[in-house]
Amino acid sequence: MAKKLMKGNEALGEAAIAAGALNYFAYPITPQSEVAEYLCWRLPQVGGNFVQAESEVAVGNMLFGAAATGKRIFTTSSSPGISLMQEAISYMAGAHLPVVLINIMRGGPGLGGILPAQSDYFQAVKGGGHGDYRLVVLAPASVQEAVDLMIESFDIAERYLTPVMIIGDGMIGQMMESVEFPKKYRQQNDPSKSDWALTGAKGRSARVVKSLFLDGKKLEDNCLKLEAKYVEIRKNEVKYELYKVSNKNKVLITAYGTMARICQTAIDELEEEKISVGLMRPISLYPFPEKEMFKEANKPNILAILDIEMSTGQMVEDVERVTKSIKPIEFFGHTGGIVPTPEEVKDKVYEMLKKFKKDKKKS
Amino acid sequence: MRQDAMLMATALKENGYMSGSYKPAYPSFPRQIIIIVGGFGSGKTEVSVNLAKFLAVSQKTPVTIVDLDLVNPYFRSREATEELEKLGVRAIAPRGEQFHADLPILLPEVKGAIENINGYLILDVGGDSQGSKALGSLNVSDKTNNFDMLLVVNSRRPATENVETSIATMKRIEYTAGLQFTGLISNSHLIDETDFEIIKEGYDLVKKLSKETDLPIKFISAKENILQNSGINKFKCPILPLTRSMLKPWERGIN
Repeated sequence: MAKKLMKGNEALGEAAIAAGALNYFAYPITPQSEVAEYLCWRLPQVGGNFVQAESEVAVGNMLFGAAATGKRIFTTSSSPGISLMQEAISYMAGAHLPVVLINIMRGGPGLGGILPAQSDYFQAVKGGGHGDYRLVVLAPASVQEAVDLMIESFDIAERYLTPVMIIGDGMIGQMMESVEFPKKYRQQNDPSKSDWALTGAKGRSARVVKSLFLDGKKLEDNCLKLEAKYVEIRKNEVKYELYKVSNKNKVLITAYGTMARICQTAIDELEEEKISVGLMRPISLYPFPEKEMFKEANKPNILAILDIEMSTGQMVEDVERVTKSIKPIEFFGHTGGIVPTPEEVKDKVYEMLKKFKKDKKKS
Repeated sequence: MRQDAMLMATALKENGYMSGSYKPAYPSFPRQIIIIVGGFGSGKTEVSVNLAKFLAVSQKTPVTIVDLDLVNPYFRSREATEELEKLGVRAIAPRGEQFHADLPILLPEVKGAIENINGYLILDVGGDSQGSKALGSLNVSDKTNNFDMLLVVNSRRPATENVETSIATMKRIEYTAGLQFTGLISNSHLIDETDFEIIKEGYDLVKKLSKETDLPIKFISAKENILQNSGINKFKCPILPLTRSMLKPWERGIN
């Protein structure tokens, strides 16, 4: 298939179709609305279903019901809309249901603004809803990666029977980039062979999909069953990318999503000035690349770590946790839709290196 | 309008145009109102901003650009306001807090600019029929014979990927805008992955579309360096040289 020029939001819609996910429930919200706009004409062409709900609370509960049928289902929204879905997300995690959720993040808290942000890291990674559960959280940095992760996320959701969330800053949804889709699209899945989906109990005993366990022992069993899955997920689903990482690096930058691409521009320009900086970009935010990041941070050439985000500092807490703060960690970020520039990233690196020079002189 | 070809060439060169050896034919505009319309993501804003810059540099007449995009929340021509104002272009777009709003704000100055037209007026309209609703609410039709409505065609976008979809898109836009197209713009691209083949593919499509609709090809818009390296003379129509204004935060404005 020839390369097409697509807006991230349109590409996410097409990626779901490529994954054989033809059942979509959503409510429009900037900067994500083009997914719904695209799928409202595209899904009928491929025999799919799009229900525009009356609110995101309704979307969440529609997903819960539809996911129990075992069909591939998904939604897309932006920050305030994802907040409204949290109750249902917790229920779906507790009930072991596969579902794919997209959050094209805008600035918060509250109604916030419509410009790009990464301030829903805590909500996605640390559990926006109640209870002992985790989401698999993936963060693309380009439209093509968003497409690839979208397709893969349905497989992950089904493999572990768990909700998977893709978080992209507003830029991922709004920017246009060239993109390619798989030659062969997946057929819609057939849940009749599954051993958990509600497909009609004719000829077999009834199944129950629920998250209510009044008996403490049974609830603990369910939580342990969930935790056992998360152990497997932490073992198998870690994804990250290294950029210009070498034993010459003085500073290791950590950043995810499109923020990482801004850091790459800064790193390229610093390289021309003979300042060596590497980048570690977590792609899976849960499971976080824990061992891998510790290994990179622990290398003797690394003087310090610089974490950059479009937030006041959220992922940085995981960077501190997994590197055990073995090296000094600095943070730089902007919020409200103001995107840190390559110049600001470079200035921060200059400032850090200056500090090290001074410290060296003192000692 | 500036008649002196030498003066025009000097002004263009001073502003970075005609940097290479080739001599393209540039588009000319006998009508004052230039309406740029097309499918979502066809490149209307980039074409509008570049057209405003080109006219400001090459013509001795005021140029006004109106950001009529009430559909997109990011990457709108208002983001190029500073760059345009430096060249003396008057840019009409929501300012202050409303700059970033995803609300259908139609400024009163827009109607004023149409009624008391002075020099060139470029209308950068939002995508497809949804975007053209704002255009329909303006009384451009009163200015019969003084406007051009041009379709931006990008063969790598669904709304204009072939003759059939392009004609369907044109019909939808004409219906909501209440205006008829007067010409076509060949703007096929994949942003930074654009090569000569894609420009050629787009030109071939627009040629077919032109035959089918009886509308003239007003110009091809493309980066000068791509044309420079690959035989610009293959095209028998004017060229609007593009430099990218709508950059992503990690991109540098080289081309």
